Amino acid sequence: MDDDDIPVLIEHQEPPKQDEQARRVPLTIICGFLGAGKSTLLKRILTEQHGFRIAVIMNEFGDTADIEAKTINVASEGEESEEFLELANGCLCCSIKDTGIAAIEKLMQRKGAFDHILLETTGLADPGPIAALFWHNEEFASGLGRDISLDGVICVVDAVFGSQQMEEDHASDTVGESLRQIAGADIVLLNKIDLASPESVDVTAAQLRGVNPVAPIFRTVRAEIDVGKLLGVHAYTAAPATFFSPPHGHQQDTHDHDHDHDHSHPREPTHYELRGITSLLISVPVLSRQQLDAIDEWVRTVLWEQRLPGDAQQETPTVTILRCKGLFVLHSGAQHVLQGVRSMYEITEAGDALGVPDAGKLVLIGTGLNARVRESLRSVWAG
Amino acid sequence: MITCQNSECPNGNPASRLECPTCNKLGIRGSFFCGQDCFKSGSQKNHKVLHMIAKLDPNADNQDGTYCPFPNFNYTGSMRPVYPLAPRRKVPDHIPLPEYVPDGNPRLEDKSWAHPPRILNAEEIEKMRTVCRMSREILDLAAAALKPGITTDEIDELVHNATIERNAYPSPLRYKDYPKSVCTSINEVICHGIPDQRKLKEGDIINLDVSVYYQGFHGDVNGTYPVGQIDEESAKLIRTSRECLDKSIEICKPGALIRDIGKVIEPIARANGCSSVRSYTGHGINNHFHCPPNIPHYAKNRAVGTMKPGMVFTIEPMINLGPSWSADVHWPDNWTSTTVDGKRSAQFEETLLITETGVEVLTAAPK
Repeated sequence: MDDDDIPVLIEHQEPPKQDEQARRVPLTIICGFLGAGKSTLLKRILTEQHGFRIAVIMNEFGDTADIEAKTINVASEGEESEEFLELANGCLCCSIKDTGIAAIEKLMQRKGAFDHILLETTGLADPGPIAALFWHNEEFASGLGRDISLDGVICVVDAVFGSQQMEEDHASDTVGESLRQIAGADIVLLNKIDLASPESVDVTAAQLRGVNPVAPIFRTVRAEIDVGKLLGVHAYTAAPATFFSPPHGHQQDTHDHDHDHDHSHPREPTHYELRGITSLLISVPVLSRQQLDAIDEWVRTVLWEQRLPGDAQQETPTVTILRCKGLFVLHSGAQHVLQGVRSMYEITEAGDALGVPDAGKLVLIGTGLNARVRESLRSVWAG
Repeated sequence: MITCQNSECPNGNPASRLECPTCNKLGIRGSFFCGQDCFKSGSQKNHKVLHMIAKLDPNADNQDGTYCPFPNFNYTGSMRPVYPLAPRRKVPDHIPLPEYVPDGNPRLEDKSWAHPPRILNAEEIEKMRTVCRMSREILDLAAAALKPGITTDEIDELVHNATIERNAYPSPLRYKDYPKSVCTSINEVICHGIPDQRKLKEGDIINLDVSVYYQGFHGDVNGTYPVGQIDEESAKLIRTSRECLDKSIEICKPGALIRDIGKVIEPIARANGCSSVRSYTGHGINNHFHCPPNIPHYAKNRAVGTMKPGMVFTIEPMINLGPSWSADVHWPDNWTSTTVDGKRSAQFEETLLITETGVEVLTAAPK
């Protein structure tokens, strides 16, 4: 600051105390294939939320410390502006904080907190590692109102080409990009349904449901959807809504809403295979504390060592979990929620009862999830 | 209620809530004025003296040619960098260099983060024992030299020479362009303090962090030491940090979970009115300086990994006095990390090997 300039007086504000229940800034990752309608969705969100300050970032984070040339767009009351990101001091040394995330936080320190952050990934990006990065970053929350919390991942799928993309998209021995995006999604928008036949839309929806049994699938035209269904979903804290009995019972399909009823109240675990990716949705009985601990041990063996408990360590993994969610009910009535992405997971007690679940549930999405895995899990609470 | 601070206020010094932004930034409280016009008036020259006084460098000793390289930085305590830094110290040609010399970029180490932690074989473990013993030797030599009046640059010279005398390389030197052979962190500096012309003072506490590269492997050890007589609060801080480290080492054995280390450390810090830093963590160490696993020092964490025989890693809790665990303040040298409130911070570190039955402290002080 030039000492000769006389600065403008500012409104005095008491600095917030650390640890006060400060509002966090939710961040939503938006992925999906080229042309599926991500940009349309973004514009729609910005238009509907015009009273809020929303930052839109194109994802190029996680890899590079080359922050200097990057800008993010901020939309506020219908106006858009560009803000430059600066590298925060100390980011090149061994601090565990991601340089890109530190740059966003530094911007908020200078210019005030955003109400929401939308991070749009480039077409082929796998949202899993990016979600893991932001989820990990929550551990450094300072409580000063600028902490970023991971709200969820939205995947936009093209109703016309989506099915074809899912089938074609394969690389030998690895799970294809479009499938990784669906696997990592907390909400799926099946967009452009006006351009495809109702039958083919149903087929695509069934394929999506098979890969990801718990993400709600919204059928949309031009990405038109109530933004309240997309933002503020707490997908990394709460158990999925589909784990609870809908109080209204069965519901007719409306043009923008999908309950896939063949799978909504499974009594038997479901198992779907598509080009190497499988999902496993399994009912879990009421548990004792020890059984919950045993589940924790099972989950960490599978997520961290990529094998079933009791199997020997292999050169190549036999089981890989991309995303997992669970809800467990103990004899005491306490509810515990499992959230996991890649090798990072946690099982935490739900603060307030989230509703009355039928029973516990667990969903795993990844590769190698065959009958052996189902039996291995069952033996955890059968024994 | 604060009235307008302008002694020549044309409006009769009414109650005011508009604050000088420079004073706000410098932490000077109560600089309220009734309006921009009043603020801009003649008394502004007198007001600016407050800013200059706040920015004065208590360590400035221009007599001997030293200076503060970042005079306008918003320092949180009384520590300042004292430049010029001594020229880069030379390493004899016969000493094997780690991968990041000379361009500073640890490429292979970066790649290691995509893989699970390495399990070392018996031969590699023996090399780790050697380099870790050496690291402890050098740390103890440096600690013995601490006294009021010595500069951190002189400590760096001591560590550098002791290392190359042993035909080893001082790991910090040129790692991501770090300029010196040891980290010297005084008082409110949490870690990565750069040795310069700062003279140690009676009452200071100083952390020395020594890392050595020998026969292809790194060792890493640090400790916080008093300079002369220190106050009771600082003594307690040092004891607390050592206890955090010692108690967390006790749970280490095959099958123990990495995420449980922080669960031991944080409650001890809190119980003593302190906080455990979050953004710097313990780390795997072997042929790489910093590699998996990552070891948080705070309780609620989702760290990945189960301890296995042959795994080698450090635990190095940084404990701050008071409620703030933040290490987000960095000096413009891009290394020095300080507390946000200027309170002191202490740290201890050991390199640990998980054995078949438990843990071996490779950098342990000789009995």
